[in-house]
Amino acid sequence: MIASRWRIWWRRRIRTVDPMIEAIGLTKQYSEALAVDELSFRVRPGRVTGFLGPNGAGKSTTMRLILGLDRPTAGGVTVNGRPYERIRSPLREVGALLDARAFHGGRTAYNHLLGLARSNGIPRPRVDEVLGIVGLESVARKRTRDFSLGMGQRLGIAAALLGDPEVLILDEPVNGLDTEGIRWMRDLMKGLAAEGRTVFLSSHLMSEMELTADHLIVIGRGRLIADTTVLGFIESNSQAVTVVRSPQAAELRTVLETQGAQVTLDPEGGWRVSGPDAAAIGDLALAHGIGVHELSPRLSSLEEVYTQLTQASVEYRGSDLAAATGPGSEA
Amino acid sequence: MFDVTAAALPRSGFRAAVRFEWTKMTTARSTLWTLATLGVLIPVLAVFVAATGSLQPDDTILGASLTGTVGSLVVAAASGAIVMTGEHSTGTMRTTLAACPRRSTVMAAKAIVVAGTMFVVSLAASTAAYLIGSAMLSGDDYASGDPWPALLGIALGFSAVGVLGLAVGTALRHSAGAVSAVVGVILVPSLFGPLFGDWQRWVGGASPTAALEKLSQTSDATVEAVGTLGGWPSLVVLIAYTLVAVVGSARLFATRDT
Repeated sequence: MIASRWRIWWRRRIRTVDPMIEAIGLTKQYSEALAVDELSFRVRPGRVTGFLGPNGAGKSTTMRLILGLDRPTAGGVTVNGRPYERIRSPLREVGALLDARAFHGGRTAYNHLLGLARSNGIPRPRVDEVLGIVGLESVARKRTRDFSLGMGQRLGIAAALLGDPEVLILDEPVNGLDTEGIRWMRDLMKGLAAEGRTVFLSSHLMSEMELTADHLIVIGRGRLIADTTVLGFIESNSQAVTVVRSPQAAELRTVLETQGAQVTLDPEGGWRVSGPDAAAIGDLALAHGIGVHELSPRLSSLEEVYTQLTQASVEYRGSDLAAATGPGSEA
Repeated sequence: MFDVTAAALPRSGFRAAVRFEWTKMTTARSTLWTLATLGVLIPVLAVFVAATGSLQPDDTILGASLTGTVGSLVVAAASGAIVMTGEHSTGTMRTTLAACPRRSTVMAAKAIVVAGTMFVVSLAASTAAYLIGSAMLSGDDYASGDPWPALLGIALGFSAVGVLGLAVGTALRHSAGAVSAVVGVILVPSLFGPLFGDWQRWVGGASPTAALEKLSQTSDATVEAVGTLGGWPSLVVLIAYTLVAVVGSARLFATRDT
């Protein structure tokens, strides 16, 4: 712990401050579970970084640690080179959305934002501005009790944008949004990253990440699984699979299996072959006089790769859901 | 955005934190209703007591007019507790700490807002109650009592009890538990005083209600019930253990996860 603190201090000295998030050996042990296990990563500006993992993987805990809401058991995390608690006006540097329903139901949307603005010396007109950005002007004077989940999510985004921060941390921001809302959120995130901001958003939805994120940090059971670009993640983790169609399907299968290839039935017909690449399969078929009608290498979708990769690290299956209600579970 | 000016000013965050807490208190209907209850209860009871003449011959007009203060003290303690527990139950605590990560600053800002609000509201309500009592009751039948600076002391007592509630709320985090606990601290000594035997005057004398009863010069403040310690020293005792509770709970607040 002392060593990592020293490292944080040292990095701060040698680097000009970039708007970014940096975790070094971040660990959080709750009484009954290790929620985050020696996690080290950097979230860089100018791109959307997706924080991916199954439910219970430690995403929310990590985000709470970044914001200083929970204290790490070991290691540390800095935003713009400093621990969050040391940032003087944090809303002007970091915008966060953790829980879509974290409002006092009896307070209006406007007053919720006004309090936050005052806490960080943000001028009052900015409140109207962010309400406009998220499209809540018409309900600004309504109490948040009557807000739908989607409206709550928009108000949370408004709060995150209040201080015009360079760093955004968003936990499952598309939860509860309709299709139009999801598209709006996606464009907003991309737009903020294009302005050079650091955008870090968590999700357990692969499909969403594939569309929004440029870079991925994947965790499972609190451990880092991958830290790479979306394309790199798919390329380096998908198994080389080739789909082959042949009029002599059974013969081809026997030939391939004797050569040590794994052959399974493709859902759309033909064989899915892993082991030899497309060229080797073609040569083999030619050598045995077997006709081939299709020979196509396939890249797994992000969804498939992710499922494969995290299957081993999925902490909570249906059978032990009860274990997921501890403090380490997703909020 | 890198806010160099803010980083250069060491205590610039405190004023902002107080403004933040003040905004939160004054924009939630529930807290406004509680404060209104507090402000109205004391004068209304003064009217009731004076109209029905339900006071002892040796009572003072001041003491009789402030009959409502003991009940209002419970409201003050509960609203102090809810300033903290409400943030846990609604989940706004995370938003608050994200905006204001120094927990000691959050705690101090809450304490100042609670103490200030309680002081102003209770001073206004008690003064109104005394004026009502003086207008409705004859000074020939009853001693008037010494309202000044007793009313200030009573208002300080309300501030202390509100902050005591805040401290208990901080330590326990759940509204129901915290409210029960502070209500217990306020009411148990006066309700069950006799059960404490020889300790009654110590237990009763140290309770928040004792300080108020002594300061309001009511005939309820007998030596058996609340001891011989004067009104102002009792107030000092109340403030002293409130400060201890605040420091202790602030330490808990600073070390716990949210």
